[in-house]
Amino acid sequence: MRFQVAIRNLAKAALVLFLVTFSISILVRFLPGDPIEILMPFATEEGRAALRAELGLDVNVVQYYFRWLSDLLRGDFGVWYASTGDGGGVPVRSMLAIALPRSLLIMLYTMVVSLVFAVPLGIFLAYRAETRTDRTISNVLFTISSIPNFAIGLGLAFVVGVQLDLLPVIGYVPFAESPSEHFKSLVMPLVSLSVGLVATFSRLLRVDTIATLREDFVTMASSKGLSNSWILWRHVLRPSSSTLMTSAALQMGALIGGAVVIESIFALNGFGMLLASAIATRQYLAIQSLVALIAIAYIVFNLIVDVLYAIVDPRVRGGRG
Amino acid sequence: MCFTPSSTRVSGAGVASVKRAPVGLYLASGWLLVCLFSAVFGDFFPLPKWDEFDYDNLGLPLFSEGHLLGTDYDGSDVLSGLVHGARTSLGISFTAVFIGSVIGGLLGIVSAYRRGWVDSVVTMYFNVSLAIPTIVLTLVMVALFATPDIGDPSAGWPRELVLIISLTLVIIPILGRLARGSALSWSGRDFVLVAESIGMKKRSILWTHIIPNVLPAMMSVAFLAAGVVIVIEGGLAILGVGANPGASWGSMLAKNRGELAIAPHTTLVPAGIIALTVMALNYFGDYFRLRIDDRESRI
Repeated sequence: MRFQVAIRNLAKAALVLFLVTFSISILVRFLPGDPIEILMPFATEEGRAALRAELGLDVNVVQYYFRWLSDLLRGDFGVWYASTGDGGGVPVRSMLAIALPRSLLIMLYTMVVSLVFAVPLGIFLAYRAETRTDRTISNVLFTISSIPNFAIGLGLAFVVGVQLDLLPVIGYVPFAESPSEHFKSLVMPLVSLSVGLVATFSRLLRVDTIATLREDFVTMASSKGLSNSWILWRHVLRPSSSTLMTSAALQMGALIGGAVVIESIFALNGFGMLLASAIATRQYLAIQSLVALIAIAYIVFNLIVDVLYAIVDPRVRGGRG
Repeated sequence: MCFTPSSTRVSGAGVASVKRAPVGLYLASGWLLVCLFSAVFGDFFPLPKWDEFDYDNLGLPLFSEGHLLGTDYDGSDVLSGLVHGARTSLGISFTAVFIGSVIGGLLGIVSAYRRGWVDSVVTMYFNVSLAIPTIVLTLVMVALFATPDIGDPSAGWPRELVLIISLTLVIIPILGRLARGSALSWSGRDFVLVAESIGMKKRSILWTHIIPNVLPAMMSVAFLAAGVVIVIEGGLAILGVGANPGASWGSMLAKNRGELAIAPHTTLVPAGIIALTVMALNYFGDYFRLRIDDRESRI
């Protein structure tokens, strides 16, 4: 049973992946405007024909798609054409090698920071459920969660970066270059991305924890004389965290391309900015490869959610849940 | 299930929800009324025109004479920009959410009602659109359709139109999945089974029992979605593909973002207005959700 479910989920995921990438192909191919005009405005007829063949514009969309796909599977993400317009360029892969690690790090830091704050907060609120403290903090969290991250980012950039002059407003410093500068360059982006997530995560955890606290095994544990904090952390947290985990995993997928606005405000030049500039300068092959990576990330994180469910909640194992 | 977005999960059904002070609701409705009023009657306000540049008064601070919220670096009045921006931002948001809810709702309810291959195709469509982050989808759409030729920025469809279309595409799967899930859960309720057992036609069950119950749930999410759309529009503006410079709240802050150190109010005030509006919409959505939970627990 379990094996069949896994196979079915994988097949579904593969189908979604195919449809996402194929629809991007169609979109790219049927766009108004000639990509050659944009990528190579000053080229000769032969040069144009060569580029047309290289981009796969001389074949139909199905052939085009499979050519791109087989290149991708061999690790060839296409060429990023130079703005000089003579058809020269650099491999998309080498640009990814710079941008992707940044975005993955930012995503990882954001998740760690958000969970470190959200988990204790969510448990605390559930423990004090329906008291004045809970009501006040929950209302504040609700309000905070509706502030867009770019508003937080711009506010921080002004107060912390410009007025107090504590942190650099723009730019990214790699960890290897200087660990302290690295974290300094990421404090404001991380806060902008995390504030909303902390609010969302702790609200989710609060609701599920309140439900768990009503279960018999909690009454049992407390009648055995176990301390409140032991019960909360060792008995209650795990069965209460499945919604939180789903949300966190999906947010991780979304953050890879979705942090682009924050990347733009703080000039971090991560994956999102790479994609945005690919779109702005009509790098067709790059657009296609980058969107495919995002879709893969989304699907992988979805599959991870399924696996996590089984690990966290034994009831789901073997399809009995 | 493989693809379950956390946002559509109705958790705790009112048990653990916090009773929110009604004063928040009054503030939220008050603010939204102010915005709607500005959006509709903004032309009659005694203000300078939003796209008129007062070259003698560049970058005036807040509370200057003749310009209550100051001017930006090319002398356009911030307050009248906000008033005009209300029309663009709310117009784009409400239109996209309305069309998206109608199409998504129809797709969702029909697929829950027909089941079979229709359901598989519709669900697959929802999953495929959800696999692309909203900001990426809209970025591709707007960049490609609004500016098909990067050499000639005037070519292509009007920005606002492309924004509405692409944001509608974002809303359809979100509300569609909600409608489908809600329709499925209602069709399993006792009163529907009773209606079926007494021989009521499936189509009239749909109209009398399913749709009236699915709509309130969609309403509450539609308010949240309207806020989400305003935020996406702001993000797109920051990336340079939003509404025309200064025409919406998002494009106002995007236009003035470079002057953050010199004239911070020209960026931070629109950002604050966006935050307030999204907050108000979320309050409304949440209020509706609580009322639905109350009602459902009584059914």
